[in-house]
Amino acid sequence: MLLNRARAFILILAVGVLLPGAVGSQTPAVDPSDIFFDDTVLHDIRLQINERDLESLHVNFLLNDYYPVNFTWRDKALQGVGIRSRGTGSRSGVKPGLRIDFDRWATDQKFLGLKSVILRNQTQDPSNLRERLSMLFFRRMGLKAERQAHARLFFNNRYAGLYTIVESVDKVFLKKNYGEDTSNLYEFAFDNSVGHVPFLFKYLGSDANLYVPVPFKPETKETDTQPQYLERLIWTIDQAGDAAWRQSMAEYLDLPKFIRHLAIESFLAEEDGITGDYGPNNFYFYRYENKSLFQFIPWDKSNTFWEAPSPNYFILRNVEDGPVDHRNRLVQRALKYPDLWTLFLDTLEECANSASAGATTGANPQPGWLAAEIQRQYLQIREAALADTLIFTNVQFEQAIADLKAFAAGRSDAVKAQVATYRARGPLP
Amino acid sequence: MLIRLLLTAWLCAIAAPGQAADVQQDQPKAEAAKPGKKAKPKDQSQPKDPAKPKKQKKPKSNVPAPDEPFNPDEPIDQNPAEPGGSGRGWRFSWKQHPSVRYGSVFRLDGQAKFQEDAHSTYEGAVDVPEWELHRNRFGISGYLTKKIEYEVERELTEKELTDKDILAGVTPASHWKDVNVNLTFVKNAQVQVGKFKVPFGLDQLTGVTHNDFIYRSLGANYLAPARDIGAMVHGRFFKRGLNYWTGVFQHDGDNARSKKIQGGDQTFAARVTGMPFRKIASGSIAAIEIGSSFAISKLSDDSFRPNGLRGRTVVSQDTFAEPVYVKGHRRRWEADADWASGPFAARTEYTWVSDDRNGQGLGDENLPDARARSWYVSGVWVVTAENKIRPLKPATEFLQGGRGAVEVVGRMERLWYDSAGPSTGLAFRNPRAETILPTGDRVVTVGANWILNRFTKLQFNVIREHLEDPDRNPVTNGSALWSRIVRLQFVL
Repeated sequence: MLLNRARAFILILAVGVLLPGAVGSQTPAVDPSDIFFDDTVLHDIRLQINERDLESLHVNFLLNDYYPVNFTWRDKALQGVGIRSRGTGSRSGVKPGLRIDFDRWATDQKFLGLKSVILRNQTQDPSNLRERLSMLFFRRMGLKAERQAHARLFFNNRYAGLYTIVESVDKVFLKKNYGEDTSNLYEFAFDNSVGHVPFLFKYLGSDANLYVPVPFKPETKETDTQPQYLERLIWTIDQAGDAAWRQSMAEYLDLPKFIRHLAIESFLAEEDGITGDYGPNNFYFYRYENKSLFQFIPWDKSNTFWEAPSPNYFILRNVEDGPVDHRNRLVQRALKYPDLWTLFLDTLEECANSASAGATTGANPQPGWLAAEIQRQYLQIREAALADTLIFTNVQFEQAIADLKAFAAGRSDAVKAQVATYRARGPLP
Repeated sequence: MLIRLLLTAWLCAIAAPGQAADVQQDQPKAEAAKPGKKAKPKDQSQPKDPAKPKKQKKPKSNVPAPDEPFNPDEPIDQNPAEPGGSGRGWRFSWKQHPSVRYGSVFRLDGQAKFQEDAHSTYEGAVDVPEWELHRNRFGISGYLTKKIEYEVERELTEKELTDKDILAGVTPASHWKDVNVNLTFVKNAQVQVGKFKVPFGLDQLTGVTHNDFIYRSLGANYLAPARDIGAMVHGRFFKRGLNYWTGVFQHDGDNARSKKIQGGDQTFAARVTGMPFRKIASGSIAAIEIGSSFAISKLSDDSFRPNGLRGRTVVSQDTFAEPVYVKGHRRRWEADADWASGPFAARTEYTWVSDDRNGQGLGDENLPDARARSWYVSGVWVVTAENKIRPLKPATEFLQGGRGAVEVVGRMERLWYDSAGPSTGLAFRNPRAETILPTGDRVVTVGANWILNRFTKLQFNVIREHLEDPDRNPVTNGSALWSRIVRLQFVL
């Protein structure tokens, strides 16, 4: 009897001691930067900068020179932070896009665990919402994408405009999303401007340096760029025979995941993405540690919701239409496979359903998820956007919002109709 | 690497002395005068020991080496027994350099300097070529009526700017090195005008082909001004027991500028050297020459980029001290001592630079001065026992019945940056930090020089660098940087 009581006591004690630890270990770690990307509020970011540096930032916006600032967000202040002008088509001397490096001059300095962050100036988007809506939709669809929120930026306590806070694709992002950060990360940085022949995943030759640093610009391991993996990947995409293509590609790319990425961009009417009008664009590329396997990471979705208010953006734009020399070789070959073709259409349909989820008709119609999100974000930024007329007028802003709403209202049905048409037709010939 | 260098040196050693000897046969014997010293700050590398040790080897040939400064007082063509020895008329000679002369009123010497380097440094170093034509200079020098000396030298290996460089605001480096005229009408107040070295710093003012080491000290490369355009008065007293140089310059020298750093403006500089112990002591002590320099320059913040001084590692040129924003004045001060006695020589130098930072804070407030300092101590031992002079002349030339001259060298140095004055805040690395986080480089260099003949020198250096701020160390885990360099120098 006594022995049984003793056993029971020990058992209860053991459970009491071990259980909290076991339960605690299953709780996901809280990301300290979540509050910075909290999109339920409009943030304020204050930068103290020397006036001459501020002038130079505007005048020399084409250069990547860093300027020192003191950074303040809520009650957190950091010294020795570096900012620089950034962007390609969005570069502006009127409203510079900014990269903020918290560790520019302090090696281990981080802000809420972040080494850097982007303040996107939205000079190509009068609504200010396309980028944030798109990345939110990627995450809603289960793909990894940068977190975003809006912020009012102040230089020396003077309002400098409405910006989008964009999570940097860097080692912190890699570790958080893929559990590793020690391999090669590249930014696709090809000059797609007029007059240049776009890079369409066609094989350029066996010299690995034909692929790095252009079009794949190393973002990590700059002195150990491992271009041979890219050379093999591009060779396989372009040159591998049809019989071995799927099997060979499996070593380099998770094709189903890639097809989902492609379909989401298509649903969002992304005009400057993987099948963009100017050739492939706006993605990062990560090679997993000790593998040949690469991962697409979406980037810069300022040109989504293209042709809004029309919801009829073609789901196979630059795949079945557009200039032949702008058609992406990877997409062309992948969509010939019936299972990948079906997955592409299924994902588009899934996007359509997700975007319209919650919509009701009748006497008290409710908007779908996408339309509701547009309205929520619009109300959040409206006052700050109206006060920021550096690039767009208030009329342009309101019109752009109205266009987004119209797109959201009709996009799901339009996509479903196109999917039905092409499902009947079958894969790419 | 070494084989290629040695092979080239071998060829130079075989070819050059013979060539020169052929020409020398045509020269009057009296023309092989003692090497003189031109009263210019460019090279202060003459033997300092007035009490010459008895048991020192002396060069068999006293024909001056090509990189010795010529003496404008040297009589020309004194030996009337030699053909054309009247000292009149146009003539060609080759004593130091190929030379065209007209009597004693005109002289034009052609000069060439080549330095080919082979480097190896830490693994992963960026833009460190294994082979580099470090210097490839051609020039002329001479005089007109012996009262007007002139010098023109051009570097041929400077890189051209790309369109990308120009877009990035990069300014071109000048190909022209020394371009100047020196008027010697008044010996104690000579006037030099043109482009030449600002009179500041013992190591910087030592000629590039005379240096005991492959690279100058970090202080000489990054704190001393080097060349600029200006005008200078200089002279000497008490048989060179006291020398002075003072001048004004357009900017504050090539070393303060870079592709992205504008540099200072309007510089006043002065330098004094002397041998104060010559009158009160004898022997080795009397040979000590001490010197001091001062310079002050204006500093503007017209450029949107920081205009402060920078610090880089010796071989890999990794920046361990980025320039900070400055405005106001830059003040430089330097003190040095130079000693040579028999086969031994030693040098030491301390340099201090302070830059105003008026209105350079994030809130446009004044910041404490940015400060940079350096020192070095170096020593030389001529193993083959010739008197240590610069350039060192072998008693017997290699492959001409001798082995050349060999010297071993060593140097310890430090270059470091911080901010002056009281500080209330934490130290940071950013270019507008109130308190600049100290950063520096401690360097030890050991090596050997093999002077094969008057034209050819092989230098071997091993360099260990230790960066004081581990976060600015290009090598992970903060370990020391090791570099090995071999240089073949050929001077004509």
